[in-house]
Amino acid sequence: MPGPESTAKPRLAAGCRWSEPQGEDRTLLFPEGAIKLRSTGRDILERCDGEHTVLEIVEEMQSRYGKADPAKVAADVANFLQQLNQKRILDF
Amino acid sequence: MLSNPLALIAELTHRCPLHCVYCSNPLEMQKAAAELSTAEWTRVFQEAAKLGCLHVHMTGGEPLARTDLRELIARARAAGLYTNLITSGIGLSEKRLAALVDAGLEHIQLSFQGSRAEQADEIAGTRSHAYKLQLAEMIRQFKIAFTINVVVHRQNLDHLAEIIAMAEAAGAGRLEIANVQYYGWALQNRDALLPTRTQLERSQIVVNEAIERLNGKMRIDYVAPDYYAKYPKACMGGWGRRLMLIDPAGQALPCHAAAVIPGMTFDSVRERSLEWIWKESQAFRRFRGEDWMPEPCKSCDRRAEDFGGCRCQALLLTGDAAATDPVCSLAPSHKMVEDILLRINRAEDAISETNAPFSVTGQLEWRYRPNPV
Repeated sequence: MPGPESTAKPRLAAGCRWSEPQGEDRTLLFPEGAIKLRSTGRDILERCDGEHTVLEIVEEMQSRYGKADPAKVAADVANFLQQLNQKRILDF
Repeated sequence: MLSNPLALIAELTHRCPLHCVYCSNPLEMQKAAAELSTAEWTRVFQEAAKLGCLHVHMTGGEPLARTDLRELIARARAAGLYTNLITSGIGLSEKRLAALVDAGLEHIQLSFQGSRAEQADEIAGTRSHAYKLQLAEMIRQFKIAFTINVVVHRQNLDHLAEIIAMAEAAGAGRLEIANVQYYGWALQNRDALLPTRTQLERSQIVVNEAIERLNGKMRIDYVAPDYYAKYPKACMGGWGRRLMLIDPAGQALPCHAAAVIPGMTFDSVRERSLEWIWKESQAFRRFRGEDWMPEPCKSCDRRAEDFGGCRCQALLLTGDAAATDPVCSLAPSHKMVEDILLRINRAEDAISETNAPFSVTGQLEWRYRPNPV
């Protein structure tokens, strides 16, 4: 399954929102469901604001996890975003 | 350890302009005069949020039958709940939808009874299909999540590809294809609703293909009929574990059908707080945890996954609410489900040999739900 284009600007789909304006404990709410993500997942999702490109998000994660294989980080981020797109939580 | 409920199912009314033959409302419905007021529901929403609920599912009957729906949505949102509206759409105009969205509505789930007007209207007992298609177009103009829900069964499962195409064309972000579950009115009409094994196998292929094709465009959730499953569903996510249902008169139930279980005492939100009900109500405690479980559930590796299946179904099929759900292949009473399936599938074999159109009962005679006044 191809991932999002690197120039795409992921954003929350209609009807999807955070439970609170900010905070580590906040939950992502969507139709009939909710997910609570931990640090990396949450940080990625927070950057899906229609402003950051996929490339920018990947690069930030690569620099944060400097010791990890950059290709793997890129693949993990793309996979994560793709899953949320499939669940109709993210639009590209 | 007692978990907090995640979602509140708010059955706002049992009044409904439709009479769907598979309706999950109880056979004994609440009268309009007994319904909770706006103020009472407001308090329920606030207590639910405090208890940890994230979602409210506004349903019924038909929630649009409540003239205070706009207010209810606003109060639920103000209480901090994510608002889902589960509706047939009957009673929704563009102006009214705009008002509901403005009040904070986040997700609308619109029901369709099929992809073909004549049949859909027969299932609903009311002319509604064409109107729903118009509504879908209208809903797309608004920035809310839009789900189409289609209940499927033997009469429409062969149209599944058409149903999916209809939802796709209607612009739904999500399609819920829900095989009928046999409670309330659906149980009355089961002989005409249970699909054949062949239909089920074909439908799974159609669904899988569509899920892949529509990846990222429309999410498809398919609920298979548990009569055909190897193991039971984790009904409601477990008894008194994730969900709480408040009926139109304020009775707090662990699920839609719980009133069928004898010896149950339901507490009312008019008398008790939601927190007390969740923690202390006899109804909510009755099948919580594992102490009540019979064998084979008690020693089963799956007991924390499916909780022994559905109590109401166990009651309806075996007469014992504490029995293993008979749909489970490990249930002592599983043969009764096998016999039902045998009957449905044998009839199909007999008729396909003669090339006659398939119907177990010959002439379809539905038992329709009335509208409580």
